[in-house]
Amino acid sequence: MSAENPAIRVVELTKKFGDFTAVDSVSFDIARGEIFGFLGPNGAGKSTTIRALVDLIRPTSGRCEVLGLDSRKDSVEIRRHLGFLPADLALYPNLTGRQTLEFLANLRGGVDWSWVSALADRLDADLSKRVGELSSGNRQKIGLIQAFMHRPTVVILDEPITGLDPLVQLEFHTLMREHASAGNTLFLSSHTISEVERVADRVGFIRRGRLISVEKMSELQDKALRRITLEFAQPVPVTAFHGVEGVHEASASGATITAQYEGAMGPLLQVATAYDVLSISSASVDLDEIFLEFYRDKVEGPDHEVGQGDSAGKKH
Amino acid sequence: MLRSLYWKTLRDRWLGALVGVASLFLVAWMGLWAYSGMGDAAAEFIDTMPPVYQSLTGTTADAGVAGLMLGQMFNFLAPFVVAGLGISIGAGAIAGEESQRTMSILGSVPLSRTRLLGAKALAIATMVIVSSVVMWASYVLAVLLVGGDVGSLDLAAATLHLCVVALFYAAMALAIGAATGSRGVASGMATAYLVSSFLVVGFAPLFDGWGIVAKFFPWYVLNGSQPLANGVQWGQLSILVALIGGLMWVAWWRLNGRDLREGEPRAHFVDRLRSDPRLTAVISRLSGTGATGGIGAKALSDVRALAIVAGGGIFVLLVVMGPMFTAMVDSLAGIVSAMPEALLAMVGFADYSTAQGWYHGEGLSVTGPIAIAVVTISAGLGLVREERNRTIGLLHTAPISRAAVAWRKAGAMVVLAGLMGVLIFAGLSLGNLIAGLSMDYGNIAAASVLSAGLGCVLGAVAFAVGAVWGRTSVALGVAISVALLGWGINSFVAVNASLEPFARVSPFYYYSNNFPLVNGMDWGHALVLFAAAAVLVAIGVFGYQRRDLRG
Repeated sequence: MSAENPAIRVVELTKKFGDFTAVDSVSFDIARGEIFGFLGPNGAGKSTTIRALVDLIRPTSGRCEVLGLDSRKDSVEIRRHLGFLPADLALYPNLTGRQTLEFLANLRGGVDWSWVSALADRLDADLSKRVGELSSGNRQKIGLIQAFMHRPTVVILDEPITGLDPLVQLEFHTLMREHASAGNTLFLSSHTISEVERVADRVGFIRRGRLISVEKMSELQDKALRRITLEFAQPVPVTAFHGVEGVHEASASGATITAQYEGAMGPLLQVATAYDVLSISSASVDLDEIFLEFYRDKVEGPDHEVGQGDSAGKKH
Repeated sequence: MLRSLYWKTLRDRWLGALVGVASLFLVAWMGLWAYSGMGDAAAEFIDTMPPVYQSLTGTTADAGVAGLMLGQMFNFLAPFVVAGLGISIGAGAIAGEESQRTMSILGSVPLSRTRLLGAKALAIATMVIVSSVVMWASYVLAVLLVGGDVGSLDLAAATLHLCVVALFYAAMALAIGAATGSRGVASGMATAYLVSSFLVVGFAPLFDGWGIVAKFFPWYVLNGSQPLANGVQWGQLSILVALIGGLMWVAWWRLNGRDLREGEPRAHFVDRLRSDPRLTAVISRLSGTGATGGIGAKALSDVRALAIVAGGGIFVLLVVMGPMFTAMVDSLAGIVSAMPEALLAMVGFADYSTAQGWYHGEGLSVTGPIAIAVVTISAGLGLVREERNRTIGLLHTAPISRAAVAWRKAGAMVVLAGLMGVLIFAGLSLGNLIAGLSMDYGNIAAASVLSAGLGCVLGAVAFAVGAVWGRTSVALGVAISVALLGWGINSFVAVNASLEPFARVSPFYYYSNNFPLVNGMDWGHALVLFAAAAVLVAIGVFGYQRRDLRG
């Protein structure tokens, strides 16, 4: 368990269920102290990758390592240092929140109950009620507490903010950042980029079982598209903007043209100023749109994954 | 829309019904095969049967081996299977949708609660009726396969009686589920009434003046009126049909008058009792504290309620049976003395004129194994239930190997089997002591150890199939099939001496064939039971370590 090893390493992971390939040759590393976001639409292979990491399922080929330990051979040792929140969390409905945490703490040992109480206070969790009586958000809080209660070196969270209200989400994100600041690693799976955007240092995109790209969050934001709205004195043919360098989409509504572009605005303005421009306004597009745009660019169909060859399995 | 709901209910349940009916067919066919293999000997024995026994089994003089076998099927095994199926579907029809949080979706479609209830009720009735008809056809097939003849047996009448009784229990479960929204309460109450009906109708006529009590229980319509011999009893069926109508009205009335649940469990029944200050101390002591000490402790506590009910029930029954024997020994001796010894051996009847025979026949042949099987199969399913309930991911966040988790779950099952053995020992011993029956305590211990061994095997089947397969329904189905077929093989195949070697595939053979209350411990049989359980558990642990986990 050398400190030089990455916190998580996935090497050519492939998982097939019968004829269906859920994860296909996925490789990436996550450094210690990093918060890594794992993004992809529903059914992309996020949970399958995570379940292989925590040894709930076994790779068809490839391997996973956590803290330099093999996910299958050393699964018990890994779990000593691992906090895990499964997707679509299910708990024991007949136990209270406190009994649930006691049960899991007894299995693991070495849990500091003052820290558990602090976590419960921070997340505003009610530990006295039976889990079966709790709302989904309050059950999720119990799941989050159990993932952090032993101060794990590596935390894997599969869709962690499901059901949490915005205030608790905020507190949870603060908790994640604090945990990473202490040198620990967090692996966060989500299908919404806004969640990852707030906390992650890097983000991996997965779709149809294949890792499309791994990007630094800061670089991803640099790639942000911007939206420009051009108001003309009279209607302008939208086709004039098609194929212009940097322009991704252009649409017309009366005498107004709206376009999304990246990079320099010059080529777009060059076309626009050929007409009688009354006003120009420009704004950034949020990351959700980047996310969608990213997939539109990279993936057009199951057999046509543009750009995959040069970015899949990219390591940082 | 209604048609969709109707077909979906049937689709969800047809496999369970098929397994149940197929098991009934196999047991009937095996029994008929064993009896008919005895040739003239069987016919001679049946000719010598006294009227009282013919009445008990619904057999007529000219019915032959078919009458003997099918009488036992209609009066015991088939009602449990078909009515059990009806209870299972009935309890899940409304309350099941609520507990699975699917009622919200159903409630969002433009369909009144009344129509929803109607579609569900129709599906339940279809399933029970079709199962009954297929069972009837399978019995006819079984008789034909062994070259027999149904003679004057009225199979259609017996099937009709069984069908109506099963519909009654299904309607009861449906009504309770519709009224309370709790599947557990519905299936628990209906099953309790089913089992108590069987016991009361079996026991009450043995006491002078108490025979009338049996008439208040639906089971009486099965073996009290003997439709197999006497044909359809329309009066009794009319009463049951009227009661079914009443239950459906209750279901409609309560379903339309209450808030539907969205999956939130109601306050636990034990919690309600605990909240009563007069009961707090007692209930806390009985239910124990939260079982969070470890996997084994939690596995034990998961079946605690079932173990208390089934273990306590068999304990009380065995205690009470001691004084009962003393009170009835004279009349029992009269009945039994009229029956030839060979016949008693053939039909697996113990010698009721002795305390050992009484306990063996009434306590340890059927009721005891049911109580043990319910507890140990449930405990054996503990591991695979973690997958079904999707808690397995959480459980495996702990630094414990898969093998350790599996061994601890299996260990809990073995402990519960042992506990059931202890309760059987305690019940037999106390009954023996109170009634002064002079049974040998070593033999009582032997019967108890073999009971625990049987429980281990049945629990281990559920454990192994669940651990290797990862499907609760498959594990439960296989375990129940092993229990049913095992019981059937030992009860019916073993009566034909030439076929006895076949009976050795049944765990029940090693459990009871040596008659431990009389002959004491057969260590070879005990070894077979515990070794089989150990092998099954080992297979389960091995398989569990090597597969992808579900959920």
